[in-house]
Amino acid sequence: MMSSSSSGRFLARRLLSSVASSAPSSRKPVFVDGARIPFAMSSTLYKDLMAVDLGKLALAGLLHRNPELKPAEIDYVLYGTVIQESRTSNIAREAAMAASIPANVPAHTISQACISANQAMCGGVEKILAGRAEVVVAGGCETFSDLPIRFSRGIRQRLIAFPKASKKGPMGILGLLKGLGTKDLAPETPAIANYTTGEVMGHSSDRLAGRFGISREEQDAFAARSHVNAARAHKDGLYKEEIIPFNGTTEENGIKADSTPEKLAKLKPAFVKPHGTHTAANSSFLSDGASAALIMSEAKAKEMGLTPRSFFKSWAFVAVDPFEDLLLGPAFGIARVLDDAGLTLKDIDVFEIHEAFAGQVLSNLAAMDSDKFCKESMGRSGKLGAVPMEKLNTLGGSLSLGHPFGATGTRLVTTATNRLHREGGRFALVAACADGGIGHAAVIERYDA
Amino acid sequence: MHHEPESGSSTSGKSKWTYFEPVQVTEKGVAVIRINCPGKMNTVSDTMRAEVERLWKADVESNASIKAVVFISSKPDNFIAGADINMIKSTPNKADLKRVCMEGHDTFDVIAKRGIPTVAAINGACLGGGLEWALHCDYRIATTSKKTVLGLPEVKLGLLPGWGGTQLLRPLVGLQAALDMMLTGKNIRPDRALKMGLVNETVDPASLERVAIQAAAELAAGTLKPVRRAKPLAQRLIEDTPAGRAVVWKKVTETVAKNTGGHYPSPPAIVDCVRHGYGAPTKRAALEYEAQKFSEMAATPQSAALIGLFDGTTALKKNPFGAPARRVETVAVLGAGLMGAGIAQVSCEKGLRVLLKDRDAASVSKGIKYISDNQAAKLKKRRATKFDTDLALSRVVPLADDDTLWQRSFAQADLVIEAVPENLDLKHRVIQQAEQYLPEHCVFATNTSALPIADIAKASTRPQNVIGMHYFSPVPMMPLLEVIPHAGTAKEACAAAMQVGTRQGKTAIVVKDVPGFYVNRCLGPFLVEACALVEAGVGLEKLDKAIKAYGLPVGPLTSADEVGMDVAHHVQAFLAAADLGERMGGSDAGIMREMVGKGMLGRKAGKGFYVYEGKKGKRINPEALAMAKGIVKQDLKLSTQEIQDRAISRFVNEAVMCLQDGIISSPVDGDIGAVFGIGFPPFLGGPFRMLDQRGAAAYADMMRGFAERFGPQFEPCQLLQDMAASGKKFHS
Repeated sequence: MMSSSSSGRFLARRLLSSVASSAPSSRKPVFVDGARIPFAMSSTLYKDLMAVDLGKLALAGLLHRNPELKPAEIDYVLYGTVIQESRTSNIAREAAMAASIPANVPAHTISQACISANQAMCGGVEKILAGRAEVVVAGGCETFSDLPIRFSRGIRQRLIAFPKASKKGPMGILGLLKGLGTKDLAPETPAIANYTTGEVMGHSSDRLAGRFGISREEQDAFAARSHVNAARAHKDGLYKEEIIPFNGTTEENGIKADSTPEKLAKLKPAFVKPHGTHTAANSSFLSDGASAALIMSEAKAKEMGLTPRSFFKSWAFVAVDPFEDLLLGPAFGIARVLDDAGLTLKDIDVFEIHEAFAGQVLSNLAAMDSDKFCKESMGRSGKLGAVPMEKLNTLGGSLSLGHPFGATGTRLVTTATNRLHREGGRFALVAACADGGIGHAAVIERYDA
Repeated sequence: MHHEPESGSSTSGKSKWTYFEPVQVTEKGVAVIRINCPGKMNTVSDTMRAEVERLWKADVESNASIKAVVFISSKPDNFIAGADINMIKSTPNKADLKRVCMEGHDTFDVIAKRGIPTVAAINGACLGGGLEWALHCDYRIATTSKKTVLGLPEVKLGLLPGWGGTQLLRPLVGLQAALDMMLTGKNIRPDRALKMGLVNETVDPASLERVAIQAAAELAAGTLKPVRRAKPLAQRLIEDTPAGRAVVWKKVTETVAKNTGGHYPSPPAIVDCVRHGYGAPTKRAALEYEAQKFSEMAATPQSAALIGLFDGTTALKKNPFGAPARRVETVAVLGAGLMGAGIAQVSCEKGLRVLLKDRDAASVSKGIKYISDNQAAKLKKRRATKFDTDLALSRVVPLADDDTLWQRSFAQADLVIEAVPENLDLKHRVIQQAEQYLPEHCVFATNTSALPIADIAKASTRPQNVIGMHYFSPVPMMPLLEVIPHAGTAKEACAAAMQVGTRQGKTAIVVKDVPGFYVNRCLGPFLVEACALVEAGVGLEKLDKAIKAYGLPVGPLTSADEVGMDVAHHVQAFLAAADLGERMGGSDAGIMREMVGKGMLGRKAGKGFYVYEGKKGKRINPEALAMAKGIVKQDLKLSTQEIQDRAISRFVNEAVMCLQDGIISSPVDGDIGAVFGIGFPPFLGGPFRMLDQRGAAAYADMMRGFAERFGPQFEPCQLLQDMAASGKKFHS
């Protein structure tokens, strides 16, 4: 590990972009590799596994893909997850150990809703910039096949009080039953709702789409496009290089190749009934999966004989009002990282934007293309502009590939990087929304060896 | 993890005792007796036993301040690993061993007479005589270390617990558990030992000594009373009533008869001793009966054979080529079929990184599934933890020909084991393809059962790095490995192959590069003889039964069905065309060829000599029966003994021939190879031990008689004739 004597002076976020490109090679963070195990619909492929098992598969797979990486030289593991299994609350540590990453490599878990893996990667980048690490393994995992379904609070309170009460004999135990109603017998299942606002995310997104005038038809068309793009990308083998096979295959089972807007139009609203526009088909589905990325200093990568693929030119985490703008984070984040990088939307060759809901993506695009919104809500002189659809999520997105909360971030950066190389682009823009009104955006620049 | 006593091991050398540290007495009057035999292991021997008596008399008996005693080991990983086997071997008249056992009891009588509590503080192996030592104590504390195991494994050496085990164990754990422990010889882990009442407490290794001293003091003060585990009612009804016990004796006698096939005398003797304990007039009488039986067992050829195998296995753990200059950390396995996956499994479980390559991701994933299914089974049986299995699987890197990642990965391989189909061209292609990416030092091992290693090595640019590693299927189950250097193989490559084999948990023997190597070379004439016996009118089922009755795990026909008729026939045909000449004569094995032609390939095809009907089991295949009848030349009405001797002598003669030709380097290797490779009866100790016991002269005579009656294939080889003439033994 390097000395920290000269760290600490790169704290100002506005400086980050220039720092990232002018740092010495030992402190220039580069993205070397990223991969995921196939994302799958919940309760299918991975129904018998825990989230930690998925994380193990992704982390071990990353090591396997990079034989030149000496595991003993990993400085840190940062790993994301959202729905917590209490037995593996520091899932980063457990998954890293199980993946045969040496026991003396520290690890911690990041939980920042759907951008947990984004935060893990950027955290790694920042560690390298600060001279605190040269090799960071980042990523995240999620399962919806094994949710922590709990007893109700009433039952939990009594179970916790039981040891004390049992000392008072049978009467003490009987006393515990007092006040227990039938409603206490129902278990508690984690809901995809915001704790502060109490609002289900789909409901919030549906309202957002209404605000920006995004029609049901536009949303269905966008969702169908996602499936068709994803199916084509798999068929063309474009995902082979970024998926770690599970049971010998890289197939992802949530993709419906025959999706058409007409078929999608038949579904009933899922959140706002009866007049809402969000359906099960134009919302991302519950998924299981895991991903992992290798972030290193440029010098270390070269020393080990690994080839950097890209680097973070600028990145930002932003937060907005969760009551009204819950999923508008990407628009704010994109504005900031473009400014930081000194770029405009026109300079971007590849867009990878997380598709929580078709309506949410289209609302963000509409916001960025609105003079009024950009002036009033972002305090800009005018709109950011339109995102060209032919550059956006051309290989599918969360709507079709699936969205394991803790894992998606790595997928976005990995696919963006691979697209830059394949398509000959220079800059990619990655963005994602997250519960709590948080957003992430980053400009990824292709690295030419 | 090791328990490091605060003092003791450091004082060794200064001690006036050979097997013990100087006795230390704590302020509260607890004497700590540290067992510290010369060498890595504490073992019980006559001299060690005599010394503890002298130590007791000198330092404990007369010291009135001593209120209690703790026996503890100075070794990091064993309490007492058992009795010293050399003591048994070096006692020419085994009847003398009765006296040795009884003097052991005298010693513990001396200890008991002092009337102070004794505590056994157990960390690491506590086996055989070691556990009996602990059983003689009043209180047992075991550590929770992974290395702590308790058991009475004497039965595995054809013996029985001769120092009170058959009498002292039962009161603690109950009759059924005691019989189970002694008849299987299995190791008991600390948690289980606590539950069954074998030990009184379990503690962390770091606190063993402190807790043991405290327990000893409390026992002396009367504030701690050892509590015997209460037996459930059902257990009391079975074990503590004559009627219940009658059921136990009947059941256990049946099980023993079934499992031993009558070949092993020690299990019935164990049952006999335990049973005798119920009716014995005194404890002393019961112990004397046990000691008598022990000396009788030690005199059996079965015990000599099993001890020979044990010693052979131990000796083979030593690498004859020394440690390789470069330790192998990464093994590449080519081919993820049953064989490749098995090799990958035994490697990754032992901490080796494995590069497992096959044609494509789907093919590799089948191998990965094989490993992960086996890991899941181990987890379920609690033979491994989740973390163990996770780590093992994470060490396996799946690689496919159609992804260039394998080329980058192979740069780190220290040793390659190829397990691709038996085809010389294919093996050549594989070796050439891999070598482009392998580092200079990488050893290339070929897992072939037939092809000459020298021929395979011809394709290599570094033939000195090419060696044969012949595994037996299923790899995780079969303990043998043949390591086959060709004439040009470098010593360093031999050393690496042997080290990897041993690390994989295999007993490895070095074999010369000749057709069939050792095991299959001996198996060839045996298989031919099986066909010849059918032609001589021996019924299929009768043949299998006769060979099984001899002590092999299965008969030759079942064996052919299990490995696959095509494979068996291939080996037979290959050896028939090789350099064995008349020794492969007697039959052209036409029946096997015909069966291969008809798709009767054995279990994998659902039919071979037998028909396999899923859960219903197997029955003889009428089609095979008809074919067999058709090839009978003349029904010689052979007896079971003749069937056994004809078949086995062909194997044995070839084994001796292998020693004669230097294909194997010693009778020990030959015995281990036969027992571990084909299941040659362990109670016979292997072909060479069997010849020693039966007499080479008698055996050679028998074979000559066969040669006259049935043909030159039975002619005993020169070395066998020489041994017959000289009366020498293979094992000194």
